[in-house]
Amino acid sequence: MFKPFNKTFNFSILLLFTLLPLLAGLGYAIAYSFGLVGVLNKGFTLENWKILFSTSEVYISVLYTSWLAFASLSICIFISLAVVLAFPTKFKSGIFSYLVYMPLAFPSIVAAFFFFQFLSNAGILARLCYQLGIISQISDFPNLVNDSYHIGIISTQTFLSLPFFILLYASLYQAEKLEDYQKLAYALGASKKQTIFKISIPILLKRSLPSIIIYFIFKLGSYEVPLLLGKSSPETISVLAVRKLQKFNLLDIPQGYAVAVIYAFLVLILLFIAFKKSKHQYEV
Amino acid sequence: MKYSIKHLILLMLALVFTLPIVILFLLSFSQKWVFPKLLPEKLTLENWIIILGDGHVISNSFVISLSIALFVAASATILGFILSRYIAYHPKRRLLTFLTYFPFALSPVIFAICLKYYFIKLGLIGNLYGIVLAQLIIALPYSIIFFLSFWNQKVLDYQNLVYTLGGKQKQAFLYITLPLAKSFLIICFFQCFLISWFEYGLTSIIGYGKISTLTIHVFQFINEANIFYAALSCCLLILPPVILLWFNKRFIIQQKG
Repeated sequence: MFKPFNKTFNFSILLLFTLLPLLAGLGYAIAYSFGLVGVLNKGFTLENWKILFSTSEVYISVLYTSWLAFASLSICIFISLAVVLAFPTKFKSGIFSYLVYMPLAFPSIVAAFFFFQFLSNAGILARLCYQLGIISQISDFPNLVNDSYHIGIISTQTFLSLPFFILLYASLYQAEKLEDYQKLAYALGASKKQTIFKISIPILLKRSLPSIIIYFIFKLGSYEVPLLLGKSSPETISVLAVRKLQKFNLLDIPQGYAVAVIYAFLVLILLFIAFKKSKHQYEV
Repeated sequence: MKYSIKHLILLMLALVFTLPIVILFLLSFSQKWVFPKLLPEKLTLENWIIILGDGHVISNSFVISLSIALFVAASATILGFILSRYIAYHPKRRLLTFLTYFPFALSPVIFAICLKYYFIKLGLIGNLYGIVLAQLIIALPYSIIFFLSFWNQKVLDYQNLVYTLGGKQKQAFLYITLPLAKSFLIICFFQCFLISWFEYGLTSIIGYGKISTLTIHVFQFINEANIFYAALSCCLLILPPVILLWFNKRFIIQQKG
């Protein structure tokens, strides 16, 4: 008889669908990058890694990806904290409790498309500026997508993350009984500013730190948004790895796998930190 | 003064949340939008009629995406529910959770390029089975992690009570565990559906351009600069999640809390 909680069955499925693909995929990427497998590879070599690190491309890519994740998360956390502290109960009921979920219905590719239509030279913002007399022709409007300051990418990433952090902080506000702490602080003579900066924000940030790290990891792996709204150089890690692996130059493939290994290693370290920071069992 | 600033902030927030959907729908009903016109000039149902017509690639890809997402969501939810129990009460729970988290945290597109070799060897590149399997590999870890919070001491105590009172494993599962897990199962199904429904990078690599899901079509239309069809495809992508989000809002709030 089929037993849904049979230990051997459970372990086999877990191995087959999660652990095996992970080990097999990363194992193949590592082996390819060291020349152990692959069409043009002839045995163990460090040459592919040396070539990769001989140019600044991969360093810049890691820094650039980290910067994008950091910038969009910082803006998102700032807005979410401000909104939740200003309207702590607004997202529990009423129209905003529904509206806040809207960005969650957006796949990254759709959000990227919308922000392209909104921020580009001929986009909605440019048209609005023209109608208001701020600009007189398309070229007067600054580049906000595929731009040097990555405004398009950061705006899109912020938009996509905003509901998660607003809901997270709104629920933490209730769970951590921040209102009680605030009342106590006022009773002890603290000002509103002191209550916000010395009590509310530190508690919310500390409790949300593992979630922030996990979200940072997700942002590091972002692909569609930088692909559509980013410049051709620098590239994010995902875009760089896929370009090296999908293009027709076979000599680039080992380096593409090396980039994938670097990324996986980075994720592993960050995930380890997130688990260390989390005192509780880790859950979504 | 303070009151009006708060209202202004709320109004801006409402705009941020709703404007994208309004704009995308407006564009999907349009065929002409020349600079500097603020709104599309010609609003018509023509795009929707053409694209949703019988046999059109978009309507076909909508059905393909929906079928993949439903299958992946159902499989990931059922397997995740079973496997999460195994991990939750395992002596090495933390290690197994960490190992489950790792594939979920990896970028799907990078995971896909690492797995591509095996998919080619197994004949799973460029077909529906390959896409379903690849999406299941990223949705299942999510499902397992999601259900870990369900398997707490309270659930275990209830099950033990059934055994103490002479109940069997099947009865404990059917009459105690499943009813307790009902809202978790619904939310997990919905979240896994979204993971599959939103997927682009992994699908493009494993699908090899032969299986056209909606996200693949959106990308194609964007590349062709066909903004009206791209907007329409975007609307089709957004509609099911919006409906589901609206429907499940209460459950999601409970879960996040």
